[in-house]
Amino acid sequence: MSAPEVHHLFHAPIPDHSFSADRSTLAVCRDTEVELHARRSPTAFAHSSTLRGHDKTITGVDIAPHSGRIVTCSQDRNAYVWEPSPSAPDTWKPTLVLLRINRAATCVRWSPNETKFAVGSGARILATCYFEEENDWWVSKHLKKPLRSTVTSLAWHPNSVLLAAGSTDGHARVFSSFVKGIDERPEASVWGERLPFNTVCGEYLNPTAGWVHDVAFSPSGDALAFCAHDASLTVVYPAGPEQPPRAVINVSTQLLPFRSLLWTAETEVVAAGYDCGVYRFQGDGEGWGLVGAVEKEGGGKAGAAEGEGQSALNMFRSMDLKGRSGGSVDDTRLKTVHQNTVNTVRVYEESGGKVSKVSTSGVDGRVVVWTL
Amino acid sequence: MANINWRTINIDAYDPDSAFNFDLTTLTPAVQPVSTSDVQTLSGQIRQLVRGGNAEGALQGALENAPYGADEQGKSIHLSVVTEVLGQIRQAEMTPILQRLYQADGGSELCDTLMKYIYKGMGQGAPGSGAASKNITPQATGFSQAGGRNFGGEGGGQSMSVFLSWHEKLVEMVGPGSIVRVMSDRRTV
Amino acid sequence: MSQSLRPYLSCVRNTLTAALSLSNFASQASERHNVPEIEARTSPELILNPLTVSRNQEERVLIEPSVNSVRVSLKIKQADEIEHILVHKFTRFLTQRAEAFFVLRRKAVEGYDISFLITNFHTEEMLKHKLVDFIIQFMEEVDREISEMKLFLNARARFVAESFLTPFD
Repeated sequence: MSAPEVHHLFHAPIPDHSFSADRSTLAVCRDTEVELHARRSPTAFAHSSTLRGHDKTITGVDIAPHSGRIVTCSQDRNAYVWEPSPSAPDTWKPTLVLLRINRAATCVRWSPNETKFAVGSGARILATCYFEEENDWWVSKHLKKPLRSTVTSLAWHPNSVLLAAGSTDGHARVFSSFVKGIDERPEASVWGERLPFNTVCGEYLNPTAGWVHDVAFSPSGDALAFCAHDASLTVVYPAGPEQPPRAVINVSTQLLPFRSLLWTAETEVVAAGYDCGVYRFQGDGEGWGLVGAVEKEGGGKAGAAEGEGQSALNMFRSMDLKGRSGGSVDDTRLKTVHQNTVNTVRVYEESGGKVSKVSTSGVDGRVVVWTL
Repeated sequence: MANINWRTINIDAYDPDSAFNFDLTTLTPAVQPVSTSDVQTLSGQIRQLVRGGNAEGALQGALENAPYGADEQGKSIHLSVVTEVLGQIRQAEMTPILQRLYQADGGSELCDTLMKYIYKGMGQGAPGSGAASKNITPQATGFSQAGGRNFGGEGGGQSMSVFLSWHEKLVEMVGPGSIVRVMSDRRTV
Repeated sequence: MSQSLRPYLSCVRNTLTAALSLSNFASQASERHNVPEIEARTSPELILNPLTVSRNQEERVLIEPSVNSVRVSLKIKQADEIEHILVHKFTRFLTQRAEAFFVLRRKAVEGYDISFLITNFHTEEMLKHKLVDFIIQFMEEVDREISEMKLFLNARARFVAESFLTPFD
């Protein structure tokens, strides 16, 4: 395993980030702007342009892999679709999306076929947006029932019709976002056969009813994973329409909660969050378990073990005197690469249905590319 | 009507659809109501186990049958039983007992329940907790310095130090994840 | 003394570390607002169970977590009337300068002597583990400060009494 590629961009939280398909452009949210960073060398990014238009914290950004369009959403209740202008390079033309929501937008993702995108919001609404040719405008249809609190995260099924959403009411739900005239009728799957708009294909509560931070469909789309504020990962294997799921597996961990998760294969999930590290889970319909951290302990520094014995003594001494663990050594830096909460985990490189590299962004202003 | 200050009315409380009126009971669908007498019977059985010298079995039984659906009275009965059991176990035995508890089937859930009782036990006597504390501390009035100190510190301090050492041992085992679950779990003890 | 202080502080430390898992969360009650949910209390599902860590009946910490903010309230040991007065004066001094402390709340929660309000903006700006360190250090030092002040007060009282009584020698 090679060392992670670390890009420390600035000292501000990065709520979301997205790489373009050729990984030459990186879009990151920075307060009320989206910054585009272009790859200058294999190890460095340089700031190239800024997308201005929102007037509150931007919560989500997503670059469509094929069309190159960028969609952003913000706590100012708006979403924009940015298209590169044909005349001048590095300039982008925003189009306001008719979201019709009256609270903050929290997350946004393009559907795999890029004809639609979905925006989660604090108005207990999931807005499915599509382009209406006759009006030359992005319009939205609302998924409302039975959401009862802010939508924190969403994920698309590979068929671009099913949509999963996690919410602070402790539920992860699977909806149909079938729009007539835009979507092809999807093939029947374990989630259902006939799927008119706003069909609730599944509704799952984790045992402690903690807020759901992130949801994700497995690569095949036949399983759903979500992580919640009770530091657990839940994987659901549905049996078929109108039937109780075949298996619901909940793994509660000893770590702090996860903010984001990602399927790297049909039997593996990586998750990251408040513990500042990236963790790997493996399993199948029979059971799941935490395998370990992707990051090597102690950053692979030599002499770490020697320092350990000394610092254990210091640790107990300072714990006794001050109730603090960490010892007299410089304890400002955490041992992990990220120095604060990791907000997003995304796919960086994928080949043949197997993800080989993932990228993470955190509150500490770092974007890190990990080789799995 | 004239007495009502219109500006301080929380209008959200009158809108059944507002976020303010979120129904928390919908988050705990699996919790069945438990009557106080059932809790009493159970606590009798657990005390019997303790008297028989099987503190570990008593602890396990008490945690497996935590009355999530009981009312305040039932919950406080169960809390006092758990407190008793915890007090019976010596310092040296804590870690081995916790290890066995954690490695058993569904052990992680039992440890979470234990964590809930530790916090609940420490929350006793705090203002607004409602739970009756065993010795009510009079606020030191300044007349007798020594008296005030004796009253306040020792009585409560003893049982608190039991909770604190259990907490320390438990966190070593289950990490901060368990504490997060105590905070986020809507099934309170 | 330090025998029971250590488990107490490490318990507070662990609880705080767990509670400070905050995210940037816009209000779902009022439009275009982003307020600490623990203070606004507009949506019950965004507030988590409050936890209390106590060392004894007189010293405890109340930690009230929510989705984007945590309120930490301390009850400082007051063994007698003098300590009561000293704690009152000391916390008053601090709360009147609350803006210099960033995380200090201007008014303590009822039943407690001093309160902190930590929001997601604080955890974003500052390192989270250092924020925890700050609270713990505050807790250690406030005890020391109060007993030091009490000693000074007693020493001064003794000096005053002595000089007052000298002429009657």
